Amino acid sequence: MEHDMQAFAAEVRRFLDAHVAKAPDRTAFTWGEGDDSMAYFSSLPPEEEREQVRRAREWQRIRYENGFGWITGPPEYGGRGLTPVHDLLYDAIESEYDVADTGTLSVIGLGMIGPTILAHAPQPLKDHWLPAMYRGDAIACQLFSEPGAGSDLASVTTRAVRDGEDWVLNGQKVWTSVAQHSQIGLALTRTNPDAPKHRGITAFLVPMDTPGVEVRPLRQMTGGADFNEVFLTDVRIPDDHRLGEVDGGWTVALTTLMNERATVGSEGAGPVAAALSPDRLSALMRATWTWDDRALRGRLAELLVDVLATEHLNARALRKLHAGVAPGPEMSVSKLLYGQNLTKAAHFVSDVLGPRAIADTGQWGTYAWTELLLATPALRILGGTEEIMKNILAERVLGLPKEPVTTAAKEVRH
Amino acid sequence: MIADESELDELRSAVRDFLEAKSPEEAVRKLMESEPRYDPAVWAQLTEQLRLPGLAIPEEYGGDGFGPVELGVVLEEMGRALLCAPFFATVVLAAQAVLASGDAEACARLLPGIAAGATTATLAVAENSGSWDPALISARAVRDGEGGVGGGGGWRLTGRKGFVIDGTTADLVLVVARTVGGPSLFAVDGPAPGLTAESMETLDATRAMARLTLDAVPATLIGSDGAGGRIMAKVLDYASVALAAEQSGGSRRCLETAAEYARTRHQFGRPIGSFQAVKHKCADMLVQVELAEAASREAARLAAEGSPDYPVAAGVAHVACSRAYMFTAMENIQVHGGIGFTWEHPAHLYFRRAKSSQLLFGGPAVYSERLLDRLGI
Repeated sequence: MEHDMQAFAAEVRRFLDAHVAKAPDRTAFTWGEGDDSMAYFSSLPPEEEREQVRRAREWQRIRYENGFGWITGPPEYGGRGLTPVHDLLYDAIESEYDVADTGTLSVIGLGMIGPTILAHAPQPLKDHWLPAMYRGDAIACQLFSEPGAGSDLASVTTRAVRDGEDWVLNGQKVWTSVAQHSQIGLALTRTNPDAPKHRGITAFLVPMDTPGVEVRPLRQMTGGADFNEVFLTDVRIPDDHRLGEVDGGWTVALTTLMNERATVGSEGAGPVAAALSPDRLSALMRATWTWDDRALRGRLAELLVDVLATEHLNARALRKLHAGVAPGPEMSVSKLLYGQNLTKAAHFVSDVLGPRAIADTGQWGTYAWTELLLATPALRILGGTEEIMKNILAERVLGLPKEPVTTAAKEVRH
Repeated sequence: MIADESELDELRSAVRDFLEAKSPEEAVRKLMESEPRYDPAVWAQLTEQLRLPGLAIPEEYGGDGFGPVELGVVLEEMGRALLCAPFFATVVLAAQAVLASGDAEACARLLPGIAAGATTATLAVAENSGSWDPALISARAVRDGEGGVGGGGGWRLTGRKGFVIDGTTADLVLVVARTVGGPSLFAVDGPAPGLTAESMETLDATRAMARLTLDAVPATLIGSDGAGGRIMAKVLDYASVALAAEQSGGSRRCLETAAEYARTRHQFGRPIGSFQAVKHKCADMLVQVELAEAASREAARLAAEGSPDYPVAAGVAHVACSRAYMFTAMENIQVHGGIGFTWEHPAHLYFRRAKSSQLLFGGPAVYSERLLDRLGI
């Protein structure tokens, strides 16, 4: 296995070396020089965002043509037929290179919706959409969360009513990433309001250009709009776009959620790496004359212990991958720590900045940190709240019992 | 020599089996109240059956030539079992101080006895303040014959040392004392004339500590005159990583005990682990333990590779493991509720070890600055 991994890693490097350059050291910097942006969410102007999506599609096509478009996928749909460990290893190696950010395609669509289509969709949908998605032509989104169904996803109330060979969908979805770029969306709908909540859900693949689908940007607390609301008004979807059984949509949803996985080694990317770099943080303390403040130095040390120990945790998970071993709980732990560390860093820096964090003095590398500060609450919510993550860790890793389900919780509230 | 993953697993299970048989809770409790604070028979078996004292000593000095990674596995298990034995003082503090001195003659003279389990040893640095900073040492060393004491080519040490681990039982005491050249490392025989050792009452009774009084005690210089500061910097990095392994093993034990109790203890007709308040506490413990274990094992690996990142990693491991152990020891008692606060329950033994380990090399006030120093901040 270890030998097999080494051969695979070498092949990945040959492919990447042939197409792209190594990434520059993102933590190296000189105070006062270059971009001081600390944005976690991109919040780009529309034309720049479209350009970013174009580059993402282009890089995905190159991956696909070279056998890395869908590493875990079956060969009949253009996949490589390898293991999730190969996939994680690919991601980790690719993060060392300067490639287009393909998050728009990969995080939701290729990572979660693709495997769901593969497992549950009728054959014609698989034949059409899977190669299109992994070639970079089609982008998919997840029409799951609703204003009334967040952590308790099984309480969705978007209705789907049978009408001949079609279904008619009505309802509202929220926090839908990449909906504005998507060709298809996987929707969870309520088809039987009288059944227990997990047994009255049906899943559909919704072409996003169907009449009645309206995507509206959702402005989040940072001021940018990186998510959407999707309104479904009398959206007519043929029954052959159904995934799984009628009222069997929860099984489909579980497939999607099971494929949500943390990535190893990709956290070093972007401005976030700078936020956690000891050099950057100490330079900030020098620039603000807080260098010898004992209280702040103590907090800096505490923060750096969290940051560096998390790096060690990731490094060990990565080494397991290279040896062909699937990482254990360190992946979920790492996800939890990622949000916590960035939150601590943002607040530490704000306290170092003091008044410079409440009004822009124009000084380089100071007020820009507020972009990160305002993004950090999201990191403890998105992709499963911190509380849900802790339930999962305690139940799956430590074997603690689930909360007993009460009678009231079994009913769907409308 | 470097062991691969499966050899490390074998080592771990051999040490765990040994300690489950030889150092169960009853044995720990008995030894906590005995003098000496360890069982010489178990120490002999630890040497004969598992060759542990010589594990990380170079082959040329009679050891098996493994390094901090393998030693870390052993220390995780010893921390988990709260083994009462002069292992940390002898194999980590004393042996590493001799090795760090670079004094080949002293290594050849002192290490084979340690590797064979025949010599127990310790390192006496701290004085009344408990600080391990060599700059704060006031114990004096003078050449034999100076000031009208003794004769010949050796040295005489005078002063007081405190917090000396296993100081009443060690056959060999390495002492950092000040010469005109600065802090320097010396070797003193346990029963040397002029040396008296008395036990200190300790928060953690599983780790014996002593106060030493030295009155013109004959000593041998180890390494060069004035090299004590440099030697101590190396020893502190190494000892931080070794202690981190003990702490990481102890904190995982606390997590396991708490989770086991949360699964089985019922209140309000449910296992208490099904309540989110308890469940999240256990998840928080798991996060700290995973982080601590990664930090300690990674630091050991970097030490074994001689990586330039090792001193920073040693500082990170020391803080991460100190924090994780204290947190899990404390929350383990909380998960247990009233039973966890009784003398009969082992939770307090881990609580005592956790706090005592956290403060052994100075505690948060010192280790934060040491880490920033290693980072060049």
